[in-house]
Amino acid sequence: MDELSGPGSALGAGPLSGFKDFYQYASPTRVIAGRDLLESTGFEFQKEGASRVFLVTDAVIRSTGLVERVEAGVRDGGLELAGVFDEVPQDSSTDICERCADAAKGAGADSFLALGGGSVMDTAKVADALFTHGGTARDQEGFFLMPREADGMGRPLEVAPLACIPTTAGTGSEVSMAAVIKDHEHKVKLEIADFPLFPRLAILDPETTRTLPPAVAAATGMDAMTHAIEGYVSADWSPHQDARSLQALRMIRDNLERAVERGEEDEEARGNMLVAANLAITLALGSVHAMSHPAGAHFGVPHGVANAIHLPHVIRHNAAGGEEIAGRYRDIGELFDIHEPEIGDALARYLTELSASIGLPTRLSQVGVPEDGIPALVEGALGDGTTLLNPREMDEEDYAALYRAAL
Amino acid sequence: MAYFKDPDEVYAYIGRLFEQLAADDELAPKFRKANTIVQYRYREPESQITVKMIDGEDGQVDCGTTAMEPEVVMTMDADTAHRFWLGQVNVTVALARGQMKAKGPVAKILKLVPLVKPVFPRYRQILEDAGRQDLLEAS
Repeated sequence: MDELSGPGSALGAGPLSGFKDFYQYASPTRVIAGRDLLESTGFEFQKEGASRVFLVTDAVIRSTGLVERVEAGVRDGGLELAGVFDEVPQDSSTDICERCADAAKGAGADSFLALGGGSVMDTAKVADALFTHGGTARDQEGFFLMPREADGMGRPLEVAPLACIPTTAGTGSEVSMAAVIKDHEHKVKLEIADFPLFPRLAILDPETTRTLPPAVAAATGMDAMTHAIEGYVSADWSPHQDARSLQALRMIRDNLERAVERGEEDEEARGNMLVAANLAITLALGSVHAMSHPAGAHFGVPHGVANAIHLPHVIRHNAAGGEEIAGRYRDIGELFDIHEPEIGDALARYLTELSASIGLPTRLSQVGVPEDGIPALVEGALGDGTTLLNPREMDEEDYAALYRAAL
Repeated sequence: MAYFKDPDEVYAYIGRLFEQLAADDELAPKFRKANTIVQYRYREPESQITVKMIDGEDGQVDCGTTAMEPEVVMTMDADTAHRFWLGQVNVTVALARGQMKAKGPVAKILKLVPLVKPVFPRYRQILEDAGRQDLLEAS
C-alpha cells in the first residue's frame, strides 16, 4: 500500500471497506416524526429544557401561516414565546446571526426554535452559540473549537436548548452539528461545526412542506440524494453512515418524484422525504459539495441545484478511480435497479435523467455560470474541506475538467 | 516522551522544512496562492512557526517570536506536526479528534493539503541529513 495515500495518511483517500483506523459517529438529536406535530411543539420542547422560546424564521415562512401555528403549539405546551425573528435571508450572514442573538437576549429568551430551511436553522445555531458564549460569529469559526471544560480539552459546554422544524426536505441541518453562514465583510463563508450545535429536538411534520413549490422540492430532494450518495462513498465513510445513507436512498427513490409532482396531496411522500433528508445528512461528503459551494458563492446557484448538476460528473470521475470506489457506486446502483458494468456512466445517466424529469437544470450554463468563471470555481473547490473527503484524490486539472463537463 | 527536546529542535527540522519550501522555485508559488499568513503553534515543546504565503510577495518564515499577524492559527502537539510531515497523519481525522485545531479561514490551508505529498520526502531527508534516525524511527 502506498504509505502516503493509505489509511492514516495526510491525504484523505483510503480503503472503503474493512475496520477503519478511526471514525466517530454522534446523533444526539431527539427526532420526532409524524402527523399533526406542530400543535405539540411546546409539549415536546419543554422536555428539552425550554421555557421562554425565541422563534427564528424567515419572511416566506411567515407568509404561509406556519409561524402562527407553531406559536400556538408553543403556547399550548405551556411555554412562553419570548419573541420572533423573521429576518433571515436565503443565505444568512454573520450580522444577521449577531442581530438574532441580541434580539433573543433582549427578549429574555432561554431557548431557540428554528422554523425554516437550512439558512434559518444555521442562523439559529450560530445565534444560539453567540447568545450563550458571547463574542462574534467570526469567533466561532472552525471545527470543534467551541468552549470546553478542562482548558479546552474536555467536554464541550452546552448552548441554550435548540429545536428545529425543517420546512424543506434536503438540508438535514436539524440533526447536524454544522452551520454555514456568509461573512460579507471578508467575502467568505464561515463554517462552524461542534457537538453543542446538534439541536436537541427535530420535529418532522409533512405539514411544513405542504406548500413547498415543486422546484424547491426537487432541488432540496436532490440535495438529500447527494448527501446520501456522497456519504456512502466518502473517504470518511463509516458503517453507521452507510446504514443511514442506504435507507435514505431507498426512501428518496420511492418518494422524491411523488413529492415533487403531487406534493400537496401526497402527505406520505412529503413525510418520507423529510425523514430521508434527516437520515442522509452527514459531514462526510466529497467533491460534489466542494464544487457546489463555490458555485453558490460566486454565481448564486442554489445549493440543491448545483449538487444535482455536479453529482453525475463526480460519480463518473470517481468510479473511474478504482474498483473499490466503483463497488460502492454499484451498491447504490442496485437500489435503483442499475446493474450495468460501467456503473459510473450508468448511475450518472440515471441521475441526470431524474433531475431533468423533476424539472431541474442539468448544466451550469443554464443557471448563469459562464465559462470564464471556471478558474474561480476551481480555486474554491480546491479550498473546500470536502475535497479532502472525496474517495479519489482531486487536483486543479480534475476540477477544471469536471466544471467544463458540467457547463 | 515528546519527540523534540526543545523548541530549537522543532525549528531545526520543521522550521527548516518551511524555509526550504519558501525558497523552492517550483513549490513556493503554489503555496503562495493560499494568500495568507499561518501560524503553527506547537505544544511539547512550546514553540511556534509563522509562515507568510502571500501571492506576489517573497515567502517569510519566522521561528519563535514574530511581527507578522497570522490569519490562520493551527494548534497541535509538536509530535503531531512531526508525524504529519512524515505523512502519517490524516488531517481530517486529526481535526475531528481535536489533535489539530484550526482557527480562521481554514479553507485557505485545506487547499494546500494535496500539495504537501512531495514535501514528505524532504522532511525525511532533513532528518536523515541531521543524523536523526531516532526521529525517523520514533513515529
